[in-house]
Amino acid sequence: MIAASKKTRQLVSIMAAGSAVAVASAALARAPFTEQELEQQMDSLYAAAQQGYDIWHGSLPSTTTNGLACANCHPDTAASNPQTFPKYMTMYGKVVPWQEMVNWCIENPQLGTRLDPNSDEMTAMKAYAMYLHRGKPIEPGLASRQTTPVVVEFGTGFKREPTGLGVDTREYQP
Amino acid sequence: MADLENKSRRDFLSFAGKAGLTTLVAQAVGINLGVVDIVRAQTGKRGVEPFRFAIISDAHLYSIDNHKFDEQLIAAVSQVNAMNPKPDFVLFGGDVAQNGTEDQLVKGKKILSALEMPMKVIPGEHDWYLDMGEAWRGLFGDETWSFDHKGVHFIGLNSILVRDFWTGAGLSPKERMTVMEMLESPIPGPWGVHEKQLEWLANDVKNLAPDTPIVVFTHSPLWDYYPRWNFQTSDAPEIREILAKFENVMSYHGHVHQTLYNRIGNMSSVAAMSTSWPWPYPPVALAYPETQMNRADPSIATDGQGTQVIDLSGDFEGLVQYKPFEDSLTPFMQDGFKV
Repeated sequence: MIAASKKTRQLVSIMAAGSAVAVASAALARAPFTEQELEQQMDSLYAAAQQGYDIWHGSLPSTTTNGLACANCHPDTAASNPQTFPKYMTMYGKVVPWQEMVNWCIENPQLGTRLDPNSDEMTAMKAYAMYLHRGKPIEPGLASRQTTPVVVEFGTGFKREPTGLGVDTREYQP
Repeated sequence: MADLENKSRRDFLSFAGKAGLTTLVAQAVGINLGVVDIVRAQTGKRGVEPFRFAIISDAHLYSIDNHKFDEQLIAAVSQVNAMNPKPDFVLFGGDVAQNGTEDQLVKGKKILSALEMPMKVIPGEHDWYLDMGEAWRGLFGDETWSFDHKGVHFIGLNSILVRDFWTGAGLSPKERMTVMEMLESPIPGPWGVHEKQLEWLANDVKNLAPDTPIVVFTHSPLWDYYPRWNFQTSDAPEIREILAKFENVMSYHGHVHQTLYNRIGNMSSVAAMSTSWPWPYPPVALAYPETQMNRADPSIATDGQGTQVIDLSGDFEGLVQYKPFEDSLTPFMQDGFKV
């Protein structure tokens, strides 16, 4: 009986807490983002992806002295494996974030100058790579195999004004 | 053939002791090794005098002096020159240059001139779109060719032709080249050999008997692998149709910078490793996934690159062996495979 009344007390207190939360959320809730706001947010992401795409394809001269850019080895960000970081990298002997791997490639295969990992440029590269790996399982530490990005059928792989010159003039579908 | 295989085996062991160890371990756990038949090729009745040829591909030379890709192409040439037995000739699979400039093409020709055997070349898109092949033709000759060697008919085609996207848009030659340099370029669309070469091909093989051994050599694969990266040739179905009368057709190609095998009908298809950088496997399933190489280690600058040598038997059976600069092959691939 003692146990039963304890349970009852717990139940009552949980219900009380629950109703308190309900009251609080009713009072503090803000409206969800409007469609227009969501579109603006995604457009900001696409703009970052666009900047990242350009850097990926060599638009930032400081990142290379031998002509190589990320895209030489990583078309459509393939095998850049952003969803597997942080992970242990043998060249560092420790666990590093994806941004550090990018800087390793800039400094070694590309013989360029590393980017500030917190810079807008690095964030833009990550926006591009992550967007092309959307929906892929997050597998921190995975180092045994190459992973693939999403299938990109045409264009740049993210919403962008078409050039009007070629196959990217087809309508964008997310 | 047994001698050849034994020799190749010794070559293999001498260049990669580490790989030999992997083989032993793999054998211990019961993985089937040795020379593996992926698909038994139909053999032509017409006798081939056995010989070997090598393939070097995708050097992507930059104009910068002493660029690492120069050294890597030099290493490929040395590797082929050191092959024992020596290949009768070398096929170069296109993309000797990165930006199509004459200095890059000249540099490539100079490095490749150290080969101790004859060479035949086909163009890649990186060689072509600055001047529409003018400098390339001046240095390497016709891009469409055929010749007979020891009973085998070899055909080379230019598979990197695209529709004209530049004239209407008023692009400069350099802008056109920049568009074509991107593997995942959103502009030009699919490559092909186009009508004139299809006619040439039909005429070239018109009088050949169906048991003639055929090798066809292109920059891009003659099947739809991953069209987004032009891992395809848009008129490959027409090419396969023209060659459908032959008992056995071997297709070798560059462009994909990776080990790869496929077979469609009477045509086997084998890709060349590059001497510049390895390309990832795209997000599609392969019919023969066992022909994938190991994931390249970015900390080893020459990993996932190399050359390849093919031994053709009297029955027109090919033993394909990749010769990577580093130990990049899976156990399945280490002793080569037959096509």
